Amino acid sequence: MPEVHIPPRYRGPTNGERLVEVTGGTVRECIDAVDARYPGFGELVFDADGKIRLFATLFVNGDELDRGAGDTKVAGNDRIEILAAVAGG
Amino acid sequence: MSDPTGDRMIRVDMTQQTATIEPFPEEWKFLGGRGLSARILLDECDAACDPLGPDNLLVMAPGVLSGTSAPTSGRISIGGKSPLTGGIKEANAGGNPGQDLMRLGYRVVVVTGQPADPDRRYALDIDADSATVVPADEHKGKWNYGLIEDLAKSYSETASFISIGPAGEMRLAGASVACTDQEKERNPARHAGRGGLGAVMGSKGLKYVSVDAGKRPARKPANKKEFGALCKKYTKYYLDGPAKEPFPKWGTSVGCVEADALYTFPYKNRVEGRSPDVHTLDGMRIVESFDERGGGMHNCMTGCIVKCSNIVHDKDGNYKTSALEFETLTLLGSTCGIASWEDVADLDRLCDEIGLDTIETGAAIAVYMDSGAMEFGDADGAKRILREIAEGTELGRSIGNGAAAIGRKRKHHRVPVVKGQALPAWDPRPLKASGITYCTSAMGADHTAGLIVEPGQPQEEMAEASQQAQIVNAVVDSSGFCSFMMINLDEVRGFYGEYFGEAMTRERIADMGWQILQDEWAFNRRAGFDASDDVMPDCLKQDPIGPAKWVWDVPDDVVASAYERFENNDALFELRS
Repeated sequence: MPEVHIPPRYRGPTNGERLVEVTGGTVRECIDAVDARYPGFGELVFDADGKIRLFATLFVNGDELDRGAGDTKVAGNDRIEILAAVAGG
Repeated sequence: MSDPTGDRMIRVDMTQQTATIEPFPEEWKFLGGRGLSARILLDECDAACDPLGPDNLLVMAPGVLSGTSAPTSGRISIGGKSPLTGGIKEANAGGNPGQDLMRLGYRVVVVTGQPADPDRRYALDIDADSATVVPADEHKGKWNYGLIEDLAKSYSETASFISIGPAGEMRLAGASVACTDQEKERNPARHAGRGGLGAVMGSKGLKYVSVDAGKRPARKPANKKEFGALCKKYTKYYLDGPAKEPFPKWGTSVGCVEADALYTFPYKNRVEGRSPDVHTLDGMRIVESFDERGGGMHNCMTGCIVKCSNIVHDKDGNYKTSALEFETLTLLGSTCGIASWEDVADLDRLCDEIGLDTIETGAAIAVYMDSGAMEFGDADGAKRILREIAEGTELGRSIGNGAAAIGRKRKHHRVPVVKGQALPAWDPRPLKASGITYCTSAMGADHTAGLIVEPGQPQEEMAEASQQAQIVNAVVDSSGFCSFMMINLDEVRGFYGEYFGEAMTRERIADMGWQILQDEWAFNRRAGFDASDDVMPDCLKQDPIGPAKWVWDVPDDVVASAYERFENNDALFELRS
């Protein structure tokens, strides 16, 4: 099963969970699966237009995705990592 | 005087209106900014004094590396006993005065005393050879932008300024200290906002400080070649990495949507963690305005590579304000139920003009609205209140004295403050480690003292995370580096080592940060603070936000454990400011 690694900034919805294993054929489906288990997570990653948010950078097995690449295929033990950019005050 | 040997300091006695230049003590060599301010206040200020009386000190301390060629290192700390919290306070700002003081070799300006006549106004003029207190009665009551416009006519074009507006002159506890930016207009747009230090400056009759460094070069490091190499290396790292992220590219204001999704974009005096108006407050709307109206991103100080400060124009293409930040959009916008970034831009300009902390003032207006005195979302009403502050009406003074003051006046129950200071945007209910910072920092509720954006963090990690962030921020706020450089302690000690020509160990720089916290806590204990002051207000314990219904529920003993130093020094070096 693909695994989604949750960055510290986005662990509010996941109640502190750092790693979630999900079923899904694309990155978007995997994030949706995390959101189904932990509501509120998905909107941290994707905006209303389905694009990866400005403050989130996604990697699949170390390769960075473009903002519009939510439909990137994943399978098996693929590793989806999210880097949450810093936002100050 | 542009090298670290032969540094000087300026002592100003506002009772006698005299200024003297003295050698800078060797034992303070590695102290600057917040750390130097804390040491001077602990050594020389009666912690029990009236913050607005003659015995309080106003400390203006550039960071250790201000005035050097280190990138984005020119910040200045303003310190004193806070009229808002009653404890020690440091607020720092960008702009050029910090660098200009340091290029002249002045490591700190310490102001004490008070004129016998509270109606008199004075200025402090500083150049390479002298520091002089001069009468400035003709500038009494001026708003910051008008003041600087007038000063620009009579001072050299190389001068920078530190000033207060009417709020500081009225000694209001929400008053800020303005520093001019590096634009040729020298806009008084960079504010040491928190803690009411503008009121301390006002209590000393000091309307403004001019600093004319002329064409003095940057300060010379001991190891010139190595220091230069370090500057190049870090600049390349920053420009190739962090600079490409949205925050430095477009400023803090574009953080609204993310903060909203994290339930830390508080709405209507914090009864909700999210705002339905987030998309009309989002800084991307400001970015979108640049094409049509002009404005854009710029560096607030000479030599800044971050350039996260926006310049906001009005619909006619004229300058309106700078910088319109995330915290301001949250506190003067969302917490007041105000939906339009353009209204917040107007409010921001008014705060900069009158000399007010936008966080404290926004929180105060939100408390006023929440008490039933005004409808949430009444932007015109909020602007009217700000003008009342400048006029000194009874309501204006209550709002200008901050959220706690208007809460007491209105007998309102929901007043989100810690140690008398309003909470910033970052909410301690989802961000509990940041809440521990708010409770234990001598500064009160201040995200710049140690922000940790990690919702869902296990409780056993919170106090250590807070302490680490507090240590790192104490060092960075003493160095002159802007925290938006996202610099870490290894990098700071590297710069220090080459600047002073003395290698600095990890242990030593970590101890420096811890000592700053110790000095600040010691001052507050002398001022009468104890554990009963380290508490969140009841409203944050009772009003839940978010799907998990977060409230402030961190036990007191967990909070208190942030006062005991954790052993894991290595983890400190993994953090960036």
